[in-house]
Amino acid sequence: MQQTVSSRPTPGARKLFQIWSSIGLQSFGGGASTTFLIQRTFIDRYGWMTMEDFNQYWNLCLFAPGINLIALTVLIGRRLGGVTGIIASLVGLLLPSATITCLMAAGFVQIQHLPVVHAILRGVIPATAGIMGVVAFNFARPVIQRAYKEGKAQTFLSLALILLSALALIYFNLPVVVVLPCTALLGMLLFTPWRSRPTPSTPPSAREQEEIAHD
Amino acid sequence: MIDPLLYFLLFFKATLFSSGGFSNLPSLHQDLLARRWATDTDFSESVAIGQISPGPNGLWVISLGYLTYGYLGALLALVAITLPPLIVLLVSALYRQIERQRWVPGFMRGISLAVVGISLTVCWTILHQPGIDWLGWLIAIAAFAVALSKRVNFLLLLSIAGLMGYLLYR
Repeated sequence: MQQTVSSRPTPGARKLFQIWSSIGLQSFGGGASTTFLIQRTFIDRYGWMTMEDFNQYWNLCLFAPGINLIALTVLIGRRLGGVTGIIASLVGLLLPSATITCLMAAGFVQIQHLPVVHAILRGVIPATAGIMGVVAFNFARPVIQRAYKEGKAQTFLSLALILLSALALIYFNLPVVVVLPCTALLGMLLFTPWRSRPTPSTPPSAREQEEIAHD
Repeated sequence: MIDPLLYFLLFFKATLFSSGGFSNLPSLHQDLLARRWATDTDFSESVAIGQISPGPNGLWVISLGYLTYGYLGALLALVAITLPPLIVLLVSALYRQIERQRWVPGFMRGISLAVVGISLTVCWTILHQPGIDWLGWLIAIAAFAVALSKRVNFLLLLSIAGLMGYLLYR
């Protein structure tokens, strides 16, 4: 997997700009659509990164202020084109869609009360929930697959932590800034092999390397 | 009447101390209303525009900029929301310093699991908005299946959903 990723030709600044503006302009319905399109484009279509890379980037973005998707754009842009890549990706994602947002703001006052607009939105909004479901599924797949390989206990713990964080948010209305670090700490306590010595050539790590080679 | 530098700094401050697209709203609301640079209507309208316009939800700030201070306001808002996320480069450098620590993989794994939980919560929240009935749930399930199969163009998927909404609810 690693080799195939690195042997793919990386895009130039112009290509990055094109890709990101197409993502920005297509992603009606907000962040769910944007995240879905980023996953589909960079992982499935071009194979420039894996879902594991994506998960790791996203985790880092949660620690940056402001819109997480902009931070994600920065990290992917840097991976694929350095500083030029960051600028091309940011301008591509933001400028066309911000211009349209601006123009819509100018026209919105006239159309916002039309029943047609509300009817259309009542179809589009639940569709974005379904798209968010796919995003959640994509986020879950690598973590769950890894736990499944490690055994039943790890799989159970992983599913329990997902359920626990969702319940904490939905039923107890806890803010994300509380739920996120708590789940991270639980993950640290439950998944860190506290007893084993951190020697680099233990059988599990050798097996892991083999798996990476075979993937 | 509006001081462009202060206007920019208020947007910048609100974003710098926020996490996610809407959490800069309270700070902006407080600061702009206190100076009479925005009204409550400006806020509700720009959040609504942010929902129907393309791009991340957080771009609602662009329409707030436009409604309160014209094209210059939109531009200042755009710059103000673009700069703070660059801090992720610092976060990523810090992560590289600590990633070999024994506790880090488990910690990151916990975050990945919480991210799944958060994403599921977003689905739940969207489906519990007013105006979403059982037909809305059907649209959501159909959209999930279609998006998962990766066969249908994305804009086509959203257009069909919009058309369904028009036919069912007009």
